[in-house]
Amino acid sequence: MSRCPSDLELERHLLASGATALAPHLAGCPRCAARLDEMRREGEEFQREVFPATVDAVVARTRPGRLVRVPRWTLAAAPLAAAAAAALFLVGRPPRDYVGAKGGELSLAVFVQAPDGARAAADGTSVPASAAVRFQVRPAHPCQLWVVSVDAAGQVSRLYPASGDAPAHVAQAGALPGGAVLDGRAGPERIFAVCSAAPLTFPDVERAAHDAAGGGEARVRAGARLTGLPPDAAQATLLLEKRL
Amino acid sequence: MEAGTASEHGERVARLYREFGPAVYRRCLRLLRDRDAARDATQEVFVRLVRDIGKLADRETALPWIYRVATNHCLNLRRAARRHRDEPLDGGLDVAPAARDAFPERRLAREVLARFDVQTQAIAVGVLVDGMEHEELAGALGISRKTVHRKLARFLDSARTLLGGRE
Repeated sequence: MSRCPSDLELERHLLASGATALAPHLAGCPRCAARLDEMRREGEEFQREVFPATVDAVVARTRPGRLVRVPRWTLAAAPLAAAAAAALFLVGRPPRDYVGAKGGELSLAVFVQAPDGARAAADGTSVPASAAVRFQVRPAHPCQLWVVSVDAAGQVSRLYPASGDAPAHVAQAGALPGGAVLDGRAGPERIFAVCSAAPLTFPDVERAAHDAAGGGEARVRAGARLTGLPPDAAQATLLLEKRL
Repeated sequence: MEAGTASEHGERVARLYREFGPAVYRRCLRLLRDRDAARDATQEVFVRLVRDIGKLADRETALPWIYRVATNHCLNLRRAARRHRDEPLDGGLDVAPAARDAFPERRLAREVLARFDVQTQAIAVGVLVDGMEHEELAGALGISRKTVHRKLARFLDSARTLLGGRE
């Protein structure tokens, strides 16, 4: 190679432990050799100082299911949620403050724990920042479901199913097992339910949710429709305003 | 993000962070010229990368993607710093030797950079600071070579106009 390599090419060289076609050029070019040495030093600095100081935060911030499941409350509230669900579905369509997908392919309800029992949250409802919530969906057809949320920091949380690498199969209206406790930080949190005929991967849904609503409070509140998903993927969304 | 226990997730993320973190840190250091800012930016960039953790599996394709995410994030930080007038990150960018003849004034380069969108900034930095070939830069930024050429030409025209107005 006659021309000097770019930083990106030097990164490839470093990642390959020096086993690239750049070696002859680097051996004969003092400027590139000096740059490579500088990059090595910076890499050592990362390993010595940056990695130990930041790795715990990186792991914590990327952990799936940042919102904590609350099985105990789920069990206690299940009858209340079921009663509310029955009321919703018997009238044939959701009430005005109930937010579902356009076209009615999928409806999502969020129930918030309150001293007097679970209550369905309307879109934009103000809730305690550490409220316990659970979810209920109504698909038009059997489908594969993911429920996720996005906050103002752009953090996407996996809510349902809380574990495993596949979405949950849902065939009829009902409350979802488990639930979540909000993270205690004030601000908007938008919840998305996505249900498709073919199973989507969590990264697909996570990326779509982040692209649609991640990046500040205004974007979370605006709640754009998820894009980049298969045409048959039904979706529903609801906004919670967490208050301290 | 794949399934698994919290500890499996943590081990996987930590391993990837140790492997790719240096490239992110170097990129941030190159653009921000501030160790503390680069450390914070590295953390932020890596959190974004882990959202699409599958892309980190293939080293060959992962590196250009990492470069793109880190570049966009750091250029956004520079823009934000300039907007708020605290400008702690504006320590200057080193213009690549091959670009000095075509564009001699670094300070002017920085001022002109701030007038453009992040993608154009990334193109200008890639060519003028990093010395990247148009094709390589197009691959790294996920855009066409034609777009690189067009946006760079527009950037240089503006720079020359500004330079001419000062002479």
